[in-house]
Amino acid sequence: MLGHYLILSGIIFSLGLIGVMTSRNVLKVLLSLELLLAASNLSFVSFSKFNGDYAGQLIVFFVILVAAAEVAIGLAIIVVMYRRLSTIQADELKEMKW
Amino acid sequence: MSPFFFYLFAAILIFASLAVILARNPLYNVLALVVAIFSLSCLFVLLEAFFVGMILLLVYAGAVLVFFLFVVMCLNLNTVVLSSQQQTRFRWLGSFVGLMFLFSFALAAKSFIRAHAMEPSSIRGTIEVIGKILFTDYLLPFELTSFLLLIAIFGIVSLAQGALSTGKDSENL
Amino acid sequence: MINANLVWIAFFAPLAACVLITLFFLKCKTSSSLIAIAGILTSFVCSCLVFTQIFQTNPPAELQQSLSWISIDSLTINFGFLINPLAIMMLLIVTGVGSAIFIYSRGYMDEDPSAPRFFAYLSLFAFSMIGIVLSNNFIQLFIFWELVGLSSYLLIGFWYAKPSAADAGVKAFMVNRLSDFGFLCGIILLWSVSDIGSGRSFQFTNLMPVIAHIDPHMLTIIGLLLFCGVVGKSAQVPLHVWLIDAMEGPTPVSALIHAATMVAAGIYLLARTFFIFEPSTTALTIIAYTGAITSLMAAILAVAENDIKRILAYSTLSQLGLMVMALGLGGPMQGMYHLTTHAFFKALLFLGAGSVIYALHHEQNIWNMQGLLKKMPVTGITFLIGTLALCGIFPLSGFWSKDGILALAYTNNTVLYLIAATASGLTAFYMGRLFFVAFWGDAPASRHGAHNHEIHESPAVMTLPLIVLAILSAIGGYIGIPHYLFPQEAPESLNMRVALISSVVALLGLGFAYMIYGKRTASDPLVTKLGVFYTVLQNKFYFDIVYAWYVDNIQQNVALALFRIENGIIDRAIIDGIANLARVGGKAFRYLQNGIVQSYALVFVLGAVLLFLFLIKSYTLIFVVGIVPLLLFLLLA
Repeated sequence: MLGHYLILSGIIFSLGLIGVMTSRNVLKVLLSLELLLAASNLSFVSFSKFNGDYAGQLIVFFVILVAAAEVAIGLAIIVVMYRRLSTIQADELKEMKW
Repeated sequence: MSPFFFYLFAAILIFASLAVILARNPLYNVLALVVAIFSLSCLFVLLEAFFVGMILLLVYAGAVLVFFLFVVMCLNLNTVVLSSQQQTRFRWLGSFVGLMFLFSFALAAKSFIRAHAMEPSSIRGTIEVIGKILFTDYLLPFELTSFLLLIAIFGIVSLAQGALSTGKDSENL
Repeated sequence: MINANLVWIAFFAPLAACVLITLFFLKCKTSSSLIAIAGILTSFVCSCLVFTQIFQTNPPAELQQSLSWISIDSLTINFGFLINPLAIMMLLIVTGVGSAIFIYSRGYMDEDPSAPRFFAYLSLFAFSMIGIVLSNNFIQLFIFWELVGLSSYLLIGFWYAKPSAADAGVKAFMVNRLSDFGFLCGIILLWSVSDIGSGRSFQFTNLMPVIAHIDPHMLTIIGLLLFCGVVGKSAQVPLHVWLIDAMEGPTPVSALIHAATMVAAGIYLLARTFFIFEPSTTALTIIAYTGAITSLMAAILAVAENDIKRILAYSTLSQLGLMVMALGLGGPMQGMYHLTTHAFFKALLFLGAGSVIYALHHEQNIWNMQGLLKKMPVTGITFLIGTLALCGIFPLSGFWSKDGILALAYTNNTVLYLIAATASGLTAFYMGRLFFVAFWGDAPASRHGAHNHEIHESPAVMTLPLIVLAILSAIGGYIGIPHYLFPQEAPESLNMRVALISSVVALLGLGFAYMIYGKRTASDPLVTKLGVFYTVLQNKFYFDIVYAWYVDNIQQNVALALFRIENGIIDRAIIDGIANLARVGGKAFRYLQNGIVQSYALVFVLGAVLLFLFLIKSYTLIFVVGIVPLLLFLLLA
């Protein structure tokens, strides 16, 4: 039973990774980031259930909280980027070359 | 009964995640994520973690993703975008790496699962129980999160302000 | 007691002269010649002093002094000298005859604008030759052996603008290099088997007790390999081809290097290290026959030569053959004795020829010379003395030394004796031919040609050395050289039968020469008499043609094939390949830093996956996961 949940969590996490690595659109990147967090939340909760420890669920509580803050800031950054470059293509952010 | 619902919600979750990364219209991406969060929440309920399930729905789907929708509509985006050579390459490479990651994960999980055959325990994550623990054992982190949110607000406001002033200047030019 | 400082001064004086001339005096003709003469004379004086010191005691003293040069684990090479009666005699010859020739060169080269360079090279040669004489170990000997080869190359090709001279220099160096390869193999082989408990050594004195413990077959091989060096340096068959062309150099060079000293270095080596060859009869036999064959062949070829220097070169070859034969018959004393007397009269003959060439403004064909005895008396008479000494006429020095060798052959090996006797007879014949054609009779009434000057005797600076050498050639038999060389051996008594036979043969040879050439004709009557055989002789038994064919067809192709391998594999595949690897790798890895954050994230995840796979030790997967991205980068870049 636990195994099913873990595999599911892995699949979601991988999909999230693929999204982060291949998205042309920074919004999509941020969304995939949410997927990553969701996958780890699932894994935490399933371990919590199968180990009999509430700590997992509490961690999820805080993770949701932090994720919310992070998304807010991320969106603000995207807005700034849009105003600066008039586009939200990830390719246009090339200045970390040197 | 339980396995059926698990597979149902798991399938919805997977398809929604696929939609998140594959859809063209950014609106569809966000909406797909909402669906994914919904199914995730249902899975939490299946695991008898009622409190975090509801919180997920309220905060995540309710606030965060709505915020996403605001921004998407604000930016007035059409179906993106020109494909550049590099991104095409990254698609294949990225997919491959992601699949390899999944494969590695599966290897790790398999050995773990074989080693520990587990039965679900009988804990139920109801509001009373979680609330009690939150306000006794985890009080400090709970209070500190308010600081975290405050800092986040500061960050957003200063970013937006900077953007606004830059925008104004560029308009005047 | 021998003063070691004298030896070191004698060793390095010519080198100092060479360095001085090269650094400061390359424009001054007079100064450079004087410095060079000073250098060699210093060596000569020091050698004389050491000579007296050696023979003050009885038995004569020996001295060895070395500086440690290389000392790594079991490899020790020293730099030093070993003075014994043999060495001091050779040193006296080299410095003595050398001094005479240096003084002579002052006159001979005074019209040549690049004379200072000549004296620098001559001094370098003197230094190298003295180095060979004094060395006390094989490696040092080899170094100076090569240096002598280098000096020879520089001096033969002194007039480098002349293509034949430049080619001759290269030929000499190449042939010597070939023989030195065998020589080096022999040295190393000897060194590798020279361990009898106190480590391996290159030094002669350390090798002497070792010889008894070496396997006889190995000793034969070592002896033959060492003999390779002699074959090249002393121009034995089949590596004799360079000596004839070496006559392209100035005459003093021919006199010093290719008559008296350098070519004798091989004989000296054999005598110095005779203890290595002595136990092996096979090696000695091969050495003896090589010498005899060389002697005879050179004598036959000399009959068909018309250039005065080439005739003398062939006679040098012939006499060298006799010396090698003597050593092969187990007579180092006889060989060295003949070397000493040969140095005297051969140098004399060459200097005389030089005098003639100088007076006739570089005419070298004997058929363009006539009646020189009357026009240049000093040169003529000294030349006659040298000729008679070379033919072995009593009571000149050549008689005694050649007789020693012939007697040795007579008592040991009849075949070799017959070959040697025939060679001696031919020697008398062609030397007589030379003398009668160029010097005998009356000078022609009118001389055609560009020069209408009267032919007159050469200046004193050139004739004085001639006179000195003539005196030495005459009395050389009476100063007891063998006794000084090998004091332990009993003095040889004259073998009357051999002496008589050789005198008769020599006189017969001279007689034949007089018969054919006494009345001077316009050209050589032998050409018609010998017919086809004469053509063979003119082509020097086709050695040069065979060698040239070999080099052109076989060696060039092998060298070309090896070049292709080296170029294709080492240069292109390996070196360029590594460079290309860097270039392609760089091109591929360029994309790791393209500024796009997502690609950085990709690499990050890839790294994490690889790390995980490494931790679970799944190497095949690592390979797959690592290679695919690399290929994608490379192929799509």
